Amino acid sequence: MSLRRTLSGGLVNVGIALTALRTNLMRSILTALGVMIGVLAVILATAVGSGAQVSVENTIAQLGSNMALVFPQPDTENGGPSRDTGKLTERDARAIERSVPGVTAIAPQLRASIQLSIPARRISTGGIGVTDGYGTVTNTDVELGRMVTSADVQAAARVIVLGPTVATKLFGDLDPVGQSIRVDKVPFRVVGVLAAKGSSLGTDNDDVALVPISTARQRFATDLKGPDDLAMLFVGFDPAVALEDAKADLVRLLRDRYSVGRGDVQPFTVRTTEEFQEQSATVTGVFQAVLVAIASISLLVGGIGIMNIMLVSVTERTREIGLRMALGARRRDIRNQFLVEAAVLCTIGGMLGLILAVVAARIFERAAEFPAPVGLPVAVGSILFSALIGLAFGGYPAVRASRLSPIEALRSE
Amino acid sequence: MATDPPLLETRGLEKEYSLGGETVRAVAGVSLSVRRGEFVAIMGASGSGKSTFMNMIGALDLPTRGQLLLDGTDLASLSSDALAAIRNRKIGFVFQQFNLLARTSAVDNVATPLIYAGLPAAERRARAAAKLGAMGLGDRMDHTPAKLSGGQQQRVAIARALVTEPLMLLADEPTGALDTATSEEIMKLFGQLNDDGITVVLVTHEPDIAQYAARRILFRDGRVVEDQPVNDRRRAA
Repeated sequence: MSLRRTLSGGLVNVGIALTALRTNLMRSILTALGVMIGVLAVILATAVGSGAQVSVENTIAQLGSNMALVFPQPDTENGGPSRDTGKLTERDARAIERSVPGVTAIAPQLRASIQLSIPARRISTGGIGVTDGYGTVTNTDVELGRMVTSADVQAAARVIVLGPTVATKLFGDLDPVGQSIRVDKVPFRVVGVLAAKGSSLGTDNDDVALVPISTARQRFATDLKGPDDLAMLFVGFDPAVALEDAKADLVRLLRDRYSVGRGDVQPFTVRTTEEFQEQSATVTGVFQAVLVAIASISLLVGGIGIMNIMLVSVTERTREIGLRMALGARRRDIRNQFLVEAAVLCTIGGMLGLILAVVAARIFERAAEFPAPVGLPVAVGSILFSALIGLAFGGYPAVRASRLSPIEALRSE
Repeated sequence: MATDPPLLETRGLEKEYSLGGETVRAVAGVSLSVRRGEFVAIMGASGSGKSTFMNMIGALDLPTRGQLLLDGTDLASLSSDALAAIRNRKIGFVFQQFNLLARTSAVDNVATPLIYAGLPAAERRARAAAKLGAMGLGDRMDHTPAKLSGGQQQRVAIARALVTEPLMLLADEPTGALDTATSEEIMKLFGQLNDDGITVVLVTHEPDIAQYAARRILFRDGRVVEDQPVNDRRRAA
């Protein structure tokens, strides 16, 4: 059989299918609806899943590209649980800056929840005590004014740099630079406003305020015990440095400083941006797989609906099948006719599902401020996949139709 | 004519069914031949085996025993695809209930067998339109069956039977659903088609209708009990 004949036969079958589907319009619509909902669910699940991936990647990218995070929590990943509390100090930070090769800048931090007030308003936000290295390591810059400088740190100056969300909440459209503001009731001067970073995974990255780390140590209520304990330390590395090696150097230095023996749990944890990326890729991958798996169940139900309706269609049209056989249709002609009918039905459902999914994803993005991209491969794939579902679930009814005996079929009413 | 090989030849043709554990011999040894250009009426009561016989010569069913040669080919030895091709190219069926596809235009109904002959769409339509024109339905091409009278529907069905230029028209009670006047009209049409050279095999239980044929074969209990020319044959005016 020539290709041309196959193609022309396929087109004829599409025509026959559309006539048959129009004949039972309500039934066809309801059946297509099943597939539509299935495709909608799968596309949305994929979109939300990849949105999560994008969001996490953005978050990590905003941390800074080639960076290690050190925090004073016992690292139980490779050892057993530990009763020791964590350890990390400013002296550790200076030692790291001095001795670990490839370090470009360090950003030791204190963190606390703080109250900001002006006469008219009072809000709370995440306060971070930083040094002048913070901007470099975390790719953070100011939109207005200036960052925290080393002079600010040395003087324990009562200056504050506001995140854009905080600035808007307190001052609206006014320029906050130079304004006075109370931090936990102590007056501070606003010296800058950070450039917006947006939100990721539902967390607003702009809802922060930076003060010099020395000032934070004096004023913030933290649960740190030692006089130079740190809540967190970011270590920026030269882009040419292999993070894995850099991390090994860093860990070795800290283990020496705290005399951690072989097999002992270390009182600090080191993670690189690379590790976060890998970890989050795994987590979001699993997240996406679970979402899609759940959504696929509705597609499966849609497919069963197709099979059900095709079996009804074959039974109702037994006489037509007999007639077509009498007119010269071979078994495969009958089989293909019903396969195409199921595929057309599913493809229509799939296209409707795709359109609806694109609209729903846009609405979701607006409402939840969470990316839900529907890519071209997903769009094309979902249409092809719905046709495939038609072929898979229409297969049994179609083969059953083709196995009918011509006389039995002709005789049926 | 005597040297011409027959279009249809059966030798000891038998068909058995098992019905509830019992074997029923619907056709119990039929040997006959039909030459090209004949107009044969097969008669018999219900259960005489005439329908089973017709199904076999129409390549819709296979015999249990015996030989069945159509245009020199033994149908008993053919695959289901080959039988489909025989039904498509060599036989044109006309049914009692017309069996037109609902919600499908007259011209598309007539063109349906050409789909299975593998013809391109334009040629299918052209040939179907020509046949409908020959049946006097040139102005009804895009009408669906619901908009046509019984006689018109049967003429669409005859156009469909003829569209692949078959060797034989096989009509099963073609006037069973029509009134007397329309029945006459359809039978005269068969007569004209036969005059133009096509072989017509007609299955009927009405003696009046059988009068249009040139030869009458009577079935009883699965056997041919009478096979003779029609004496006072009715012809197209």
